[in-house]
Formats: sequence, structure tokens, C-alpha cells
Amino acid sequence: MAPNPRIRIDLASGIPAVRQITDNLRVLLVEGRLVPGSTLPSVRRVAVELGVHFNTVAEAYRQLAAEGWLDLKHGRGAVVVARAVPAVTNGVWNRDFRNRLRGLVAQMRSQGVSAAGIADELRAMAKVVTKT
Amino acid sequence: MRLVLSAVCVFIGALLFALPNMTRRELLFAVPVPPDFRESGAGRHAIRMFRMVVLTAVLAGVCALPLSPASLLDVTAAAAPLAIFLAGGIGFVWQNRQLAPAAVQFASPREAELTAAPEKLPRFAWFAASPFAILAAAAVWLFLNWDRIPPRFPVHWGAGGQPNRWADRTIRGVCGLLFFGAELCAWLSIMALASWFGARRSRSRSVMLGGVIAVGNLLAVLFALIAVQPVLGMPVWVIVLAPMAILIPTIVLMVNKLNEPSDPPDPTPNERWKGGIIYYNPDDAVLFVEKRDGFGYTLNFANPVSWVLLLSLALVIASAPFVIA
Repeated sequence: MAPNPRIRIDLASGIPAVRQITDNLRVLLVEGRLVPGSTLPSVRRVAVELGVHFNTVAEAYRQLAAEGWLDLKHGRGAVVVARAVPAVTNGVWNRDFRNRLRGLVAQMRSQGVSAAGIADELRAMAKVVTKT
Repeated sequence: MRLVLSAVCVFIGALLFALPNMTRRELLFAVPVPPDFRESGAGRHAIRMFRMVVLTAVLAGVCALPLSPASLLDVTAAAAPLAIFLAGGIGFVWQNRQLAPAAVQFASPREAELTAAPEKLPRFAWFAASPFAILAAAAVWLFLNWDRIPPRFPVHWGAGGQPNRWADRTIRGVCGLLFFGAELCAWLSIMALASWFGARRSRSRSVMLGGVIAVGNLLAVLFALIAVQPVLGMPVWVIVLAPMAILIPTIVLMVNKLNEPSDPPDPTPNERWKGGIIYYNPDDAVLFVEKRDGFGYTLNFANPVSWVLLLSLALVIASAPFVIA
């Protein structure tokens, strides 16, 4: 049996906890490691484990629900739902995505990660993206 | 008896003396430090100063007990250990403040497993029910031996080992202590559940649960022995020593568990600790958090449930005069 997916945050990173939780969960959702029908743990449990306030986790769940990934029904918890891929209407996303990726690569290089290491990581990621 | 009380003071002093060695190597006086810090000059100096404070308090307590007049022995017997604890606390906070500038922050990544499966209590949690069985068995046994209970019997003993409070052979007089014990054990059961579900998953969480359950059983044995004492007429030392049969194996078991390879320290923010003893973090949903002073857990005082727990304990204690004759 495959181990349950996990999310990992760093409260000292300077990135708001709510964004870290949302990003972590979105990665799992996009990669298909959280499949439609699966239920996420309660807000209380995740908040206790991650050492954040209940509202932080609740806000992350709400953001993902607004994006169409989760169904938040009272008493049922947060359930992953099948999400229709939204249609892209213009090419702005491409520019935006490229800028963010370049920014991230520059940040990694400035922290001493080798160009070859980054390229390997991007290749591995590309494989995952084309699979899902 | 004065000798026994002095021995108690020395025992408390010895525990406090060992306190700097009873934490993770990454913590010294609740300050996160590099693992080799305690061997450095500053680390050794902090330990030495703390031990000087404890030693002074123990010597004062041990000297005060034999010199105390008999009329003040009860007060001295309570004040001496309390003063040693207090001196230990002051010495601890003092060294915590001294070492604060050398503090490092534990690596802070935290993980959460994404499973909605309900958390299961370990099997040994069933022992949380045994205190009630012990107290109920004592009550039944007392009713079966009702005629053997003296019309008036001692229920409390002073520092000199002489009885100083008495009760009559009534339901409240005979079973009051058992009712109070049941109240206390019910509170401990709630505490055990809160400690399990309100703490982060870690190996030491089950050790804490076991510790709380063991305390419930220990209290139940103690209250049951005191309750049946009027019929059996046991010496006081039996009542004092019998719970040790639970306490000593529990401590040995807990120390063994805690000596096993442990999880990394909980990366609670340094600035949320007051004097290294009180954790107050409104941004952390946790109810119980790993202590930085010694082994075990403490409450997150920013969590309102912690105050509910403390208030309910105060209510249980306040009910004692109404429940016990």
C-alpha cells in the first residue's frame, strides 16, 4: 500500500504558511496523488501537525475549493472533486509562467544550486507533468 | 519522621540537580543550543550556577527541619520542599535568561500526513478504565465489611505520622475519598484524551499518554488503600509505599522509551516560550507541546482548552471539602 501523501512547510521561510499549504496541496492535486473522492484530514488535525492556526488551514482549503479542487461540505470535511480544466483564453499565462520560472531558477542559482542540478530537476518535473 | 522529611528534601534536590541532564542535548535550561554547548565554558558555568542555587536551598531545608519546633513542623514540612522547588524554578529561569543570547532556532520544517482515517488510541489506553474499577472494588468491599468499620476512624495524617483528621461511619465518611478519587481520575482520563488528540504525532506522545494513565492508577490505588485502611488497619508506610509498585515500573518504562532514538525536537518558535517554561503561541493550534525543561509535555496557554482543563482541575480540587467528610 502506498504511503499517504504528506505536505511540508517551513514557518521560518518567510513565505506565508497559508500559501505554503495551498501550494503543497495543489502540487499533490495536479500530480494526481490526491484523487477525486479522497477526503483530506480535518482542519484541526492539519493545523496541530503543522503548528499553525486553524484559520490558516481553513483558508488554504477555501482557496482550493474556490479553484474547484475541493468540495467543502459541513460535516463531511474537505473532499477532492474532479475538476474540469479551465480553457486558456490568451497567451498572458505563458509570459507570466516563464517569468516566474526564470525568477525561481535565478533564486536557486543565487543560493548555490548548480545549473545542471536545476536542469535535472526541470527534466524530472517535465516527465511528471506530461504523465498527468 | 524529621529524618524522612529531610530525605524527601534531599531527593527533590537530587532531581533538580540532575535537571540539566534530563533534557535533549540540544536544550540547556530550555534554550535551544548546539549539542556540544553544554561542554563549553558558558554551558558548564550555567549548570554550575543553577546547581549552587539548588544546593543552597536543599541545605537550608535540611537544616530547618531538625531545628523546627514541633508546633511548626507541619508548616516546615510543607515549606521546605516548596522552597527547594521555588529556588530550582528561579535558578532555572535565571539561567534561561542568561543563555537566551546563545539560542539557536531549531530547523523548522513540519510535515502533516494527509489521511482522514481517525486516529486510534494505543491499546494500553484501556488501562484508563482501571482506576474506576479499583475505586469501585474498594467501595463494594467496604459495603460488604460495613460492620467492621469503626464508628470513628482517621483519614489524614500529619508530618509526624499522627492522625489529625477523623471521619464517621457514614456513606460520605467512608466513601467520600473514593468519590473524590473517581472525580480526579475522570479528570485525568479527559486529560489523557486531550493529550493524545491535542499533541503532534510523535513517539513521546504515547509515553505522555502512558504517564497520565499511570498517574490515574496510582491515585486510585492510593485512595482505595486509604479508604479501606479503617478496616485493615495498615501502617501509614504501607499506604505511602504501595503506590510505588506502580510508580517505579512506570518511571523505568518511560525512561526506557525516552532513551530510544527520538524524533527531532519540536521546532516551536523561541520567542513563544516565557522563561523556557510557559508556551504561549496563539498562532499554533496545538494543545500539548513538548516541554523544554525536562521530559514530557506542557500546555499551550494560548489555546482556550488549556484554561478549561486547568479550571476543571480547580473545580475538582475545590469540591473536595464537599465530597470528603
